[in-house]
Amino acid sequence: MVELFRNIVNIISVAAIPLLIIVFLGWGFFKKVKVYEVFVEGAKDGFTVAIKIIPYLVAMLVAIGIFRASGAMDVVTTLLKPITNLIGMPAESLPMALMRPLSGSGSLGLMTEIMKVHGPDSFIGVLVSTMYGSSETTFYVLAVYFGAVGIKNFRHALPAGIIADIFGMLGAVFICRILFGV
Amino acid sequence: MLNYVWIGLIAIGILVAVGNDINDEVQNTYRNGVPLEATLTLQPVPSAMYSTWKGELTIPASAFNQFYGIRSQQTDVHQQVVVMTSNKGVTTLSLPVGSSTPEFWKKMADNAGQKDQLSADVRSLNFSGDHATAQASFVLEKVNYVKVRAVTKAALDYANTAVTISLGLIGIMALWLGVMKVAEEAGLLRILTKLLTPLTRRLFPEVPPDHPAVGAMIMNVAANMLGLNNAATPLGLKAMEELNKLNPKVGTATNAMCTFLVINTAGLTFIPATAIAVRAAAGSADPGIIIGTSIFGATCATIAGLIAVKVLQRLPWYKVEVEKSASGDTEANNG
Repeated sequence: MVELFRNIVNIISVAAIPLLIIVFLGWGFFKKVKVYEVFVEGAKDGFTVAIKIIPYLVAMLVAIGIFRASGAMDVVTTLLKPITNLIGMPAESLPMALMRPLSGSGSLGLMTEIMKVHGPDSFIGVLVSTMYGSSETTFYVLAVYFGAVGIKNFRHALPAGIIADIFGMLGAVFICRILFGV
Repeated sequence: MLNYVWIGLIAIGILVAVGNDINDEVQNTYRNGVPLEATLTLQPVPSAMYSTWKGELTIPASAFNQFYGIRSQQTDVHQQVVVMTSNKGVTTLSLPVGSSTPEFWKKMADNAGQKDQLSADVRSLNFSGDHATAQASFVLEKVNYVKVRAVTKAALDYANTAVTISLGLIGIMALWLGVMKVAEEAGLLRILTKLLTPLTRRLFPEVPPDHPAVGAMIMNVAANMLGLNNAATPLGLKAMEELNKLNPKVGTATNAMCTFLVINTAGLTFIPATAIAVRAAAGSADPGIIIGTSIFGATCATIAGLIAVKVLQRLPWYKVEVEKSASGDTEANNG
Protein backbone atom coordinates (compact mmCIF):
# COMPACT_ATOMS: atom_id res chain seq x y z
CA MET A 1 0.00 0.00 0.00
CA VAL A 2 2.72 2.41 1.06
CA GLU A 3 4.86 1.07 -1.80
CA LEU A 4 2.08 1.74 -4.32
CA PHE A 5 1.56 5.25 -3.00
CA ARG A 6 5.27 5.91 -3.19
CA ASN A 7 5.46 4.63 -6.78
CA ILE A 8 2.53 6.77 -7.89
CA VAL A 9 4.02 9.90 -6.32
CA ASN A 10 7.39 9.05 -7.84
CA ILE A 11 5.95 8.79 -11.34
CA ILE A 12 4.08 12.07 -10.88
CA SER A 13 7.22 13.86 -9.72
CA VAL A 14 9.21 12.65 -12.70
CA ALA A 15 6.58 13.33 -15.35
CA ALA A 16 5.01 16.45 -13.84
CA ILE A 17 7.21 19.15 -15.36
CA PRO A 18 7.13 18.02 -19.01
CA LEU A 19 3.44 17.28 -18.59
CA LEU A 20 2.68 20.71 -17.15
CA ILE A 21 4.62 22.43 -19.91
CA ILE A 22 2.87 20.58 -22.73
CA VAL A 23 -0.61 20.88 -21.16
CA PHE A 24 -0.26 24.61 -20.48
CA LEU A 25 1.33 25.50 -23.80
CA GLY A 26 -0.89 23.07 -25.72
CA TRP A 27 -4.04 24.48 -24.11
CA GLY A 28 -2.88 27.98 -24.95
CA PHE A 29 -2.20 27.02 -28.57
CA PHE A 30 -5.63 25.38 -28.77
CA LYS A 31 -7.17 28.57 -27.39
CA LYS A 32 -5.40 30.53 -30.16
CA VAL A 33 -2.99 32.29 -27.83
CA LYS A 34 0.18 33.43 -29.62
CA VAL A 35 2.17 31.02 -27.48
CA TYR A 36 5.70 32.02 -28.42
CA GLU A 37 5.13 35.75 -28.08
CA VAL A 38 3.21 35.44 -24.81
CA PHE A 39 5.83 33.05 -23.37
CA VAL A 40 8.64 35.49 -24.11
CA GLU A 41 6.59 38.36 -22.70
CA GLY A 42 6.17 36.46 -19.41
CA ALA A 43 9.73 35.15 -19.30
CA LYS A 44 11.08 38.71 -19.46
CA ASP A 45 10.30 39.14 -15.78
CA GLY A 46 12.54 36.23 -14.77
CA PHE A 47 15.66 38.36 -14.71
CA THR A 48 14.23 41.29 -12.77
CA VAL A 49 12.63 39.06 -10.13
CA ALA A 50 15.86 37.11 -9.55
CA ILE A 51 17.93 40.29 -9.30
CA LYS A 52 15.45 41.88 -6.91
CA ILE A 53 15.93 39.02 -4.46
CA ILE A 54 19.70 39.55 -4.09
CA PRO A 55 19.83 42.25 -1.35
CA TYR A 56 17.22 40.46 0.78
CA LEU A 57 18.97 37.13 0.48
CA VAL A 58 22.41 38.65 1.19
CA ALA A 59 21.08 40.27 4.38
CA MET A 60 19.46 37.07 5.59
CA LEU A 61 22.19 34.59 4.67
CA VAL A 62 25.04 36.72 6.04
CA ALA A 63 23.31 37.01 9.43
CA ILE A 64 22.67 33.27 9.51
CA GLY A 65 26.22 32.53 8.33
CA ILE A 66 27.75 34.64 11.12
CA PHE A 67 25.48 32.97 13.69
CA ARG A 68 26.41 29.47 12.49
CA ALA A 69 30.15 30.06 12.21
CA SER A 70 30.46 31.60 15.67
CA GLY A 71 29.50 28.43 17.52
CA ALA A 72 26.44 30.19 18.99
CA MET A 73 24.40 27.11 18.14
CA ASP A 74 26.23 25.18 20.87
CA VAL A 75 25.34 27.87 23.40
CA VAL A 76 21.65 27.82 22.45
CA THR A 77 21.66 24.01 22.52
CA THR A 78 23.04 24.00 26.06
CA LEU A 79 20.42 26.54 27.16
CA LEU A 80 17.51 24.60 25.67
CA LYS A 81 18.61 21.12 26.73
CA PRO A 82 16.68 21.02 30.05
CA ILE A 83 13.43 21.88 28.24
CA THR A 84 13.85 19.35 25.45
CA ASN A 85 14.86 16.64 27.91
CA LEU A 86 11.46 17.12 29.58
CA ILE A 87 9.55 16.18 26.41
CA GLY A 88 11.81 13.25 25.60
CA MET A 89 13.60 14.82 22.68
CA PRO A 90 17.10 13.34 22.35
CA ALA A 91 19.86 15.90 22.88
CA GLU A 92 21.59 14.93 19.62
CA SER A 93 18.56 16.02 17.60
CA LEU A 94 18.30 19.48 19.15
CA PRO A 95 20.86 21.17 16.84
CA MET A 96 18.85 19.82 13.89
CA ALA A 97 15.62 21.33 15.22
CA LEU A 98 17.35 24.69 15.65
CA MET A 99 19.16 24.60 12.30
CA ARG A 100 16.23 23.51 10.13
CA PRO A 101 14.46 26.90 9.88
CA LEU A 102 17.76 28.79 9.53
CA SER A 103 19.78 27.02 6.90
CA GLY A 104 19.00 24.37 4.31
CA SER A 105 22.61 23.41 3.64
CA GLY A 106 23.40 23.51 7.37
CA SER A 107 20.60 21.15 8.32
CA LEU A 108 21.48 18.87 5.40
CA GLY A 109 25.05 18.68 6.71
CA LEU A 110 23.85 17.98 10.25
CA MET A 111 21.52 15.23 9.06
CA THR A 112 24.31 13.57 7.09
CA GLU A 113 26.72 13.78 10.01
CA ILE A 114 24.26 12.43 12.60
CA MET A 115 23.46 9.48 10.32
CA LYS A 116 27.14 8.77 9.89
CA VAL A 117 27.61 8.64 13.65
CA HIS A 118 24.38 6.91 14.76
CA GLY A 119 23.34 5.05 11.58
CA PRO A 120 20.38 5.98 9.34
CA ASP A 121 18.07 3.35 10.84
CA SER A 122 18.74 4.20 14.47
CA PHE A 123 16.07 6.13 16.37
CA ILE A 124 18.13 9.34 16.13
CA GLY A 125 18.74 8.76 12.41
CA VAL A 126 15.03 8.31 11.66
CA LEU A 127 14.15 11.28 13.87
CA VAL A 128 16.52 13.78 12.27
CA SER A 129 15.52 12.76 8.74
CA THR A 130 11.87 13.12 9.73
CA MET A 131 12.69 16.56 11.14
CA TYR A 132 14.37 17.48 7.89
CA GLY A 133 11.30 16.38 5.94
CA SER A 134 8.86 18.07 8.32
CA SER A 135 9.72 21.65 7.53
CA GLU A 136 11.16 24.12 5.09
CA THR A 137 13.96 26.63 5.57
CA THR A 138 11.67 29.34 6.95
CA PHE A 139 14.15 32.23 6.89
CA TYR A 140 15.20 31.49 3.32
CA VAL A 141 11.62 31.20 2.07
CA LEU A 142 10.61 34.48 3.74
CA ALA A 143 13.67 36.35 2.41
CA VAL A 144 13.20 35.12 -1.16
CA TYR A 145 9.42 35.44 -1.42
CA PHE A 146 9.11 38.78 0.32
CA GLY A 147 12.28 40.02 -1.40
CA ALA A 148 10.81 39.37 -4.83
CA VAL A 149 8.06 41.93 -4.21
CA GLY A 150 10.11 44.32 -2.07
CA ILE A 151 8.33 43.62 1.24
CA LYS A 152 10.43 44.81 4.19
CA ASN A 153 7.86 44.58 6.96
CA PHE A 154 7.09 40.86 7.32
CA ARG A 155 4.43 41.49 10.02
CA HIS A 156 3.31 38.22 11.58
CA ALA A 157 4.79 35.94 8.93
CA LEU A 158 8.00 35.31 10.89
CA PRO A 159 6.45 34.42 14.29
CA ALA A 160 3.81 32.29 12.56
CA GLY A 161 6.50 30.55 10.51
CA ILE A 162 8.54 29.85 13.64
CA ILE A 163 5.46 28.52 15.47
CA ALA A 164 4.89 26.22 12.48
CA ASP A 165 8.53 25.06 12.72
CA ILE A 166 8.28 24.36 16.44
CA PHE A 167 5.14 22.28 15.96
CA GLY A 168 6.68 20.50 12.97
CA MET A 169 9.68 19.49 15.11
CA LEU A 170 7.44 18.49 18.05
CA GLY A 171 5.24 16.50 15.68
CA ALA A 172 8.32 14.71 14.34
CA VAL A 173 9.47 13.79 17.87
CA PHE A 174 5.96 12.66 18.81
CA ILE A 175 5.36 10.39 15.79
CA CYS A 176 8.88 8.92 15.87
CA ARG A 177 8.58 8.10 19.56
CA ILE A 178 5.26 6.36 18.96
CA LEU A 179 6.37 4.38 15.90
CA PHE A 180 10.06 3.72 16.57
CA GLY A 181 10.11 4.77 20.20
CA VAL A 182 12.70 3.98 22.80
CA MET B 1 10.24 41.71 14.83
CA LEU B 2 12.45 40.96 11.84
CA ASN B 3 14.77 43.82 12.77
CA TYR B 4 15.30 42.33 16.22
CA VAL B 5 15.82 38.79 14.94
CA TRP B 6 18.23 39.99 12.27
CA ILE B 7 20.44 42.14 14.49
CA GLY B 8 20.11 39.45 17.18
CA LEU B 9 21.59 36.76 14.93
CA ILE B 10 24.49 39.02 13.95
CA ALA B 11 25.19 40.42 17.42
CA ILE B 12 24.92 37.06 19.23
CA GLY B 13 27.08 35.48 16.54
CA ILE B 14 29.88 38.00 16.83
CA LEU B 15 29.76 38.14 20.64
CA VAL B 16 29.85 34.35 20.96
CA ALA B 17 32.71 34.18 18.45
CA VAL B 18 34.77 36.70 20.43
CA GLY B 19 33.87 34.92 23.68
CA ASN B 20 34.92 31.55 22.28
CA ASP B 21 38.24 32.97 21.10
CA ILE B 22 38.97 34.61 24.45
CA ASN B 23 38.16 31.30 26.10
CA ASP B 24 40.50 29.47 23.69
CA GLU B 25 43.22 31.97 24.47
CA VAL B 26 42.79 31.64 28.24
CA GLN B 27 42.58 27.85 28.18
CA ASN B 28 45.21 27.64 25.45
CA THR B 29 42.96 25.15 23.64
CA TYR B 30 45.47 24.73 20.81
CA ARG B 31 48.47 24.44 23.18
CA ASN B 32 50.34 27.29 21.52
CA GLY B 33 53.98 27.20 22.55
CA VAL B 34 53.69 23.93 24.48
CA PRO B 35 56.03 21.18 23.22
CA LEU B 36 54.46 17.86 22.19
CA GLU B 37 56.38 14.54 22.43
CA ALA B 38 56.26 12.00 19.60
CA THR B 39 58.21 9.10 18.15
CA LEU B 40 59.71 9.97 14.78
CA THR B 41 60.48 7.17 12.33
CA LEU B 42 62.75 8.27 9.47
CA GLN B 43 63.12 6.84 5.97
CA PRO B 44 65.79 6.58 4.79
CA VAL B 45 68.16 6.72 7.69
CA PRO B 46 69.43 10.30 7.85
CA SER B 47 72.89 11.04 6.65
CA ALA B 48 74.83 14.24 6.31
CA MET B 49 74.15 14.24 2.55
CA TYR B 50 70.56 15.39 2.88
CA SER B 51 68.92 18.25 4.69
CA THR B 52 65.37 16.97 4.13
CA TRP B 53 63.95 13.61 5.24
CA LYS B 54 60.57 12.03 5.12
CA GLY B 55 59.19 10.19 8.10
CA GLU B 56 56.25 9.42 10.30
CA LEU B 57 55.23 10.79 13.66
CA THR B 58 53.62 8.35 16.08
CA ILE B 59 51.66 9.48 19.13
CA PRO B 60 49.47 7.14 21.22
CA ALA B 61 45.78 8.17 21.19
CA SER B 62 45.74 8.55 24.96
CA ALA B 63 48.77 10.88 24.93
CA PHE B 64 47.25 12.96 22.11
CA ASN B 65 43.91 13.29 23.90
CA GLN B 66 45.59 14.14 27.16
CA PHE B 67 47.79 16.77 25.56
CA TYR B 68 44.85 18.65 24.00
CA GLY B 69 42.36 17.84 26.74
CA ILE B 70 39.97 16.17 24.29
CA ARG B 71 38.42 12.70 23.96
CA SER B 72 37.76 12.55 20.23
CA GLN B 73 40.96 10.85 18.98
CA GLN B 74 40.17 7.12 18.89
CA THR B 75 43.22 5.66 17.16
CA ASP B 76 46.93 6.24 17.60
CA VAL B 77 48.23 9.11 15.51
CA HIS B 78 50.38 8.19 12.50
CA GLN B 79 51.20 11.44 10.75
CA GLN B 80 53.36 11.85 7.64
CA VAL B 81 56.02 14.44 8.19
CA VAL B 82 58.84 16.17 6.34
CA VAL B 83 61.88 17.05 8.44
CA MET B 84 63.99 19.97 7.25
CA THR B 85 67.26 21.20 8.69
CA SER B 86 68.46 24.61 7.64
CA ASN B 87 72.09 25.66 7.19
CA LYS B 88 72.03 27.18 10.63
CA GLY B 89 71.07 23.84 12.13
CA VAL B 90 67.46 24.76 12.95
CA THR B 91 65.15 21.79 12.41
CA THR B 92 61.51 22.27 11.42
CA LEU B 93 58.70 19.83 10.70
CA SER B 94 56.05 20.12 8.04
CA LEU B 95 52.88 18.05 8.55
CA PRO B 96 50.85 17.73 5.32
CA VAL B 97 47.12 17.28 6.03
CA GLY B 98 46.01 13.87 4.77
CA SER B 99 43.43 11.21 5.49
CA SER B 100 45.34 9.97 8.54
CA THR B 101 45.67 13.42 10.08
CA PRO B 102 43.74 13.73 13.37
CA GLU B 103 40.54 15.81 13.15
CA PHE B 104 41.89 18.21 15.75
CA TRP B 105 44.98 18.92 13.67
CA LYS B 106 42.83 19.33 10.55
CA LYS B 107 40.85 21.98 12.38
CA MET B 108 44.09 23.68 13.41
CA ALA B 109 45.44 23.53 9.85
CA ASP B 110 42.29 25.31 8.59
CA ASN B 111 43.28 28.26 10.74
CA ALA B 112 47.04 28.06 10.23
CA GLY B 113 49.18 29.91 7.70
CA GLN B 114 48.80 27.29 5.01
CA LYS B 115 45.50 25.41 4.72
CA ASP B 116 46.96 22.06 3.70
CA GLN B 117 49.76 21.71 6.21
CA LEU B 118 50.86 22.44 9.75
CA SER B 119 54.42 23.42 10.50
CA ALA B 120 56.32 22.94 13.74
CA ASP B 121 59.61 23.95 15.33
CA VAL B 122 61.64 21.09 16.73
CA ARG B 123 62.88 21.63 20.27
CA SER B 124 64.87 18.42 20.57
CA LEU B 125 65.59 15.23 18.61
CA ASN B 126 67.11 12.28 20.49
CA PHE B 127 68.10 9.58 18.01
CA SER B 128 68.14 5.92 18.88
CA GLY B 129 71.24 3.82 18.33
CA ASP B 130 70.61 2.99 14.62
CA HIS B 131 69.36 6.50 13.82
CA ALA B 132 66.12 5.11 12.32
CA THR B 133 63.88 6.49 15.06
CA ALA B 134 64.03 9.46 17.34
CA GLN B 135 62.16 10.96 20.24
CA ALA B 136 60.99 14.34 18.97
CA SER B 137 59.78 17.26 21.00
CA PHE B 138 58.18 19.98 18.87
CA VAL B 139 55.95 23.04 19.06
CA LEU B 140 53.23 23.43 16.42
CA GLU B 141 52.65 26.79 14.82
CA LYS B 142 50.44 29.23 16.64
CA VAL B 143 46.69 28.98 16.07
CA ASN B 144 44.35 31.65 17.39
CA TYR B 145 41.20 33.71 16.76
CA VAL B 146 39.59 30.65 15.18
CA LYS B 147 35.94 31.70 15.56
CA VAL B 148 36.41 35.34 14.60
CA ARG B 149 38.21 34.21 11.47
CA ALA B 150 35.37 31.76 10.79
CA VAL B 151 32.79 34.52 11.21
CA THR B 152 34.65 36.76 8.75
CA LYS B 153 34.84 33.95 6.23
CA ALA B 154 31.18 33.04 6.70
CA ALA B 155 30.01 36.64 6.19
CA LEU B 156 31.89 36.91 2.89
CA ASP B 157 31.05 33.38 1.73
CA TYR B 158 27.35 33.68 2.46
CA ALA B 159 27.09 37.02 0.68
CA ASN B 160 28.48 35.23 -2.36
CA THR B 161 26.14 32.27 -1.89
CA ALA B 162 23.14 34.60 -1.84
CA VAL B 163 24.11 36.04 -5.22
CA THR B 164 24.79 32.57 -6.66
CA ILE B 165 21.38 31.34 -5.54
CA SER B 166 19.60 34.41 -6.92
CA LEU B 167 21.37 34.30 -10.27
CA GLY B 168 20.67 30.56 -10.47
CA LEU B 169 16.98 31.39 -10.35
CA ILE B 170 17.01 33.51 -13.51
CA GLY B 171 16.64 30.73 -16.08
CA ILE B 172 14.11 28.67 -14.22
CA MET B 173 12.14 31.80 -13.30
CA ALA B 174 11.98 32.84 -16.94
CA LEU B 175 10.78 29.39 -18.01
CA TRP B 176 7.96 29.16 -15.50
CA LEU B 177 6.87 32.77 -15.75
CA GLY B 178 6.62 32.25 -19.52
CA VAL B 179 4.57 29.08 -19.17
CA MET B 180 2.35 30.71 -16.55
CA LYS B 181 1.71 33.70 -18.77
CA VAL B 182 0.49 31.42 -21.55
CA ALA B 183 -1.71 29.51 -19.08
CA GLU B 184 -3.12 32.80 -17.85
CA GLU B 185 -3.92 34.11 -21.32
CA ALA B 186 -5.56 30.81 -22.19
CA GLY B 187 -7.80 31.00 -19.14
CA LEU B 188 -6.43 27.75 -17.72
CA LEU B 189 -5.66 29.20 -14.31
CA ARG B 190 -9.24 30.42 -13.99
CA ILE B 191 -10.54 26.86 -14.37
CA LEU B 192 -8.11 25.59 -11.74
CA THR B 193 -9.01 28.41 -9.41
CA LYS B 194 -12.73 27.73 -9.65
CA LEU B 195 -12.30 24.13 -8.56
CA LEU B 196 -10.67 25.09 -5.27
CA THR B 197 -12.68 28.23 -4.52
CA PRO B 198 -14.36 26.85 -1.34
CA LEU B 199 -10.92 26.26 0.19
CA THR B 200 -9.13 29.35 -1.04
CA ARG B 201 -11.97 31.68 -0.04
CA ARG B 202 -11.59 30.55 3.54
CA LEU B 203 -7.79 30.76 3.59
CA PHE B 204 -7.50 34.04 1.71
CA PRO B 205 -10.70 36.02 2.36
CA GLU B 206 -9.06 39.25 1.17
CA VAL B 207 -8.28 37.86 -2.28
CA PRO B 208 -11.10 37.73 -4.87
CA PRO B 209 -11.62 34.02 -5.64
CA ASP B 210 -11.03 34.49 -9.38
CA HIS B 211 -7.87 36.59 -9.01
CA PRO B 212 -4.79 35.29 -10.87
CA ALA B 213 -2.95 35.16 -7.52
CA VAL B 214 -5.15 32.26 -6.44
CA GLY B 215 -4.21 30.20 -9.47
CA ALA B 216 -0.50 30.82 -8.93
CA MET B 217 -0.76 29.95 -5.23
CA ILE B 218 -2.54 26.69 -6.01
CA MET B 219 0.13 25.81 -8.57
CA ASN B 220 2.88 26.59 -6.06
CA VAL B 221 1.39 24.50 -3.27
CA ALA B 222 0.77 21.61 -5.69
CA ALA B 223 4.37 21.78 -6.94
CA ASN B 224 5.64 21.78 -3.35
CA MET B 225 3.56 18.75 -2.45
CA LEU B 226 4.95 16.85 -5.42
CA GLY B 227 8.47 17.81 -4.39
CA LEU B 228 9.06 19.90 -7.54
CA ASN B 229 11.18 22.53 -5.83
CA ASN B 230 12.47 23.92 -9.13
CA ALA B 231 8.98 24.75 -10.27
CA ALA B 232 7.58 25.70 -6.86
CA THR B 233 9.76 28.77 -6.25
CA PRO B 234 9.02 30.57 -9.56
CA LEU B 235 5.31 29.80 -9.19
CA GLY B 236 5.38 31.06 -5.62
CA LEU B 237 7.13 34.27 -6.63
CA LYS B 238 4.56 34.76 -9.36
CA ALA B 239 1.86 34.34 -6.71
CA MET B 240 3.58 36.93 -4.50
CA GLU B 241 3.68 39.36 -7.43
CA GLU B 242 -0.04 38.92 -8.01
CA LEU B 243 -0.78 39.26 -4.28
CA ASN B 244 1.28 42.44 -4.20
CA LYS B 245 -1.07 43.97 -6.79
CA LEU B 246 -3.77 43.79 -4.10
CA ASN B 247 -1.47 45.30 -1.48
CA PRO B 248 -2.72 48.69 -0.23
CA LYS B 249 0.58 49.47 1.48
CA VAL B 250 3.81 49.08 -0.47
CA GLY B 251 6.60 47.31 1.43
CA THR B 252 4.34 45.77 4.08
CA ALA B 253 3.06 42.21 3.96
CA THR B 254 -0.67 41.56 3.60
CA ASN B 255 -2.61 38.92 5.54
CA ALA B 256 -2.91 36.80 2.42
CA MET B 257 0.86 36.93 1.83
CA CYS B 258 1.58 35.81 5.39
CA THR B 259 -0.92 32.96 5.17
CA PHE B 260 0.53 31.84 1.85
CA LEU B 261 4.11 31.93 3.14
CA VAL B 262 3.30 30.03 6.31
CA ILE B 263 1.90 27.23 4.14
CA ASN B 264 5.17 27.38 2.21
CA THR B 265 7.50 27.39 5.22
CA ALA B 266 5.68 24.41 6.72
CA GLY B 267 6.83 22.56 3.61
CA LEU B 268 4.21 19.83 3.29
CA THR B 269 5.38 17.35 0.66
CA PHE B 270 4.44 13.79 -0.24
CA ILE B 271 8.02 12.80 -0.96
CA PRO B 272 10.77 14.36 1.16
CA ALA B 273 13.22 13.53 -1.62
CA THR B 274 16.37 15.04 -0.12
CA ALA B 275 16.02 13.26 3.22
CA ILE B 276 15.34 9.95 1.46
CA ALA B 277 18.38 10.39 -0.79
CA VAL B 278 20.66 11.11 2.17
CA ARG B 279 19.31 8.08 4.05
CA ALA B 280 19.88 5.86 1.02
CA ALA B 281 23.42 7.20 0.65
CA ALA B 282 24.08 6.48 4.33
CA GLY B 283 23.17 2.82 3.71
CA SER B 284 19.70 2.70 5.22
CA ALA B 285 17.79 -0.59 4.94
CA ASP B 286 14.57 1.37 4.35
CA PRO B 287 15.23 4.97 3.24
CA GLY B 288 11.55 5.67 2.57
CA ILE B 289 10.43 4.84 6.09
CA ILE B 290 10.33 8.54 6.93
CA ILE B 291 7.69 9.44 4.31
CA GLY B 292 4.79 8.85 6.67
CA THR B 293 6.43 10.47 9.66
CA SER B 294 7.50 13.50 7.61
CA ILE B 295 3.98 13.99 6.26
CA PHE B 296 2.73 13.85 9.85
CA GLY B 297 5.32 16.37 11.05
CA ALA B 298 4.70 18.77 8.17
CA THR B 299 0.94 18.49 8.67
CA CYS B 300 1.40 19.49 12.32
CA ALA B 301 3.50 22.41 11.14
CA THR B 302 0.93 23.48 8.54
CA ILE B 303 -2.04 23.34 10.92
CA ALA B 304 -0.16 25.12 13.73
CA GLY B 305 1.12 27.73 11.28
CA LEU B 306 -2.34 28.43 9.85
CA ILE B 307 -3.87 28.79 13.30
CA ALA B 308 -0.99 31.05 14.36
CA VAL B 309 -1.24 33.24 11.28
CA LYS B 310 -5.00 33.69 11.66
CA VAL B 311 -4.72 34.53 15.36
CA LEU B 312 -1.68 36.79 15.05
CA GLN B 313 -3.12 38.88 12.21
CA ARG B 314 -5.84 40.10 14.61
CA LEU B 315 -3.36 41.40 17.18
CA PRO B 316 -3.09 45.20 17.33
CA TRP B 317 0.69 44.66 17.20
CA TYR B 318 0.47 43.54 13.55
CA LYS B 319 -2.24 45.94 12.45
CA VAL B 320 -1.62 47.75 9.17
CA GLU B 321 -2.47 51.42 9.00
CA VAL B 322 -3.25 52.16 5.40
CA GLU B 323 -2.31 55.78 5.14
CA LYS B 324 -0.27 57.11 2.31
CA SER B 325 1.51 59.43 4.73
CA ALA B 326 2.77 56.64 7.03
CA SER B 327 6.03 56.02 5.25
CA GLY B 328 7.17 52.46 5.46
CA ASP B 329 8.41 51.92 8.98
CA THR B 330 5.50 50.53 10.96
CA GLU B 331 8.00 48.32 12.78
CA ALA B 332 8.76 51.24 15.08
CA ASN B 333 5.09 51.74 15.96
CA ASN B 334 4.62 48.03 16.43
CA GLY B 335 7.64 47.51 18.61
